[in-house]
Amino acid sequence: MFTEELKAFKRLGFRHVLLQVLNFASVIASGLMIWKGLGIITNSESPIVVVLSGSMEPAFYRGDLLFLTNPANQLYQTGDITVYKIPGADIPIVHRVLETHDTKPKQSSKTASISAVPLSRQRLLTKGDNNYVDDIELYKGLEWLERKHIVGKVRGFLPYVGYVTIAMNDFPQLKYALLGGLGLLALIQRE
Amino acid sequence: MHSIFSRINNVSAFLSSCMMALLAAIALSSFVFTADPHGDLAISSIKVVSSNARRYPNKKQDLAFVHFNVTADLTPLFHWNTKQLFLYLEAEYTNKQGVKNDVVIWDRIVRRKEDAVINFAGKNKYMFRDISSTFKNSPPASYSLKYNVMPYVGLLTYGEAARTTEAVAFPPTQSRL
Repeated sequence: MFTEELKAFKRLGFRHVLLQVLNFASVIASGLMIWKGLGIITNSESPIVVVLSGSMEPAFYRGDLLFLTNPANQLYQTGDITVYKIPGADIPIVHRVLETHDTKPKQSSKTASISAVPLSRQRLLTKGDNNYVDDIELYKGLEWLERKHIVGKVRGFLPYVGYVTIAMNDFPQLKYALLGGLGLLALIQRE
Repeated sequence: MHSIFSRINNVSAFLSSCMMALLAAIALSSFVFTADPHGDLAISSIKVVSSNARRYPNKKQDLAFVHFNVTADLTPLFHWNTKQLFLYLEAEYTNKQGVKNDVVIWDRIVRRKEDAVINFAGKNKYMFRDISSTFKNSPPASYSLKYNVMPYVGLLTYGEAARTTEAVAFPPTQSRL
């Protein structure tokens, strides 16, 4: 089955292989650029996330895709669904804000500039819609969640699409098969 | 040129772009529905009780118990791209240290249009406590019912369905309920 392909591969020569490698590399590079560009526009380190747990059911199920923004000059409000990452925990959590407590920063004449009114210091408490209690136990000893822990708030929703990544994490063979297959196709394709 | 592989490739690419266009159209169509329903919210009683703090058993912490009535007809918010409504009742006040507080004291998930006529009387579901551990000298709080429309696909939208006509003061702390 592959002898035909291999023959074609030999006939094409070295330059063609290099060209295909270049194409492949440019696809990967543009993907990375789009991801990082989105990160800059939305001011979030990870503007698209996949839901990994059922704690926000029935709103979000495992494998749903969420689009985040993190406006630098806006405070979070109750009812916002935030994605947060506690230092020391490896998985970010998607939960809804239950309490906000905004403390106005102290007015000091030295640092007061015309343009930037400093944001209030915000202390937050979150809870998953599907959980009975709030998240204090998940905060690893922190009393409140703060702005620096938050990756972004959910603005858009696309169901099921993220399940591909969950499947690839659960079955690593699938990941290697997919990557290998794509790489091979990119090298062999003639157009 | 017309190998089986290129045919499969073309068909699946076409199908997925059609799918994406359809999903985008559905997501955009929800901007056409601009319902803004309003209901009524009344606070029937508030009690403030001194209790033990959650994490520090020998520290005192005031808890507020709020009884309220809420009626609202939120059926206009259900359209073909509404997966569910998340309703929440929150208290808003600025305490005497100048900290602005928004605290959700009750919530409900509405998944069907038939359940979207809200008529509820009861008390807070979540602990209502001040960050400074006491409600003493705290200015009155206003209460509001807000909603979050969650779509099958697209953007999440928020709104306010009801608000107390005037702020409700916190009563003095009592030692037991």
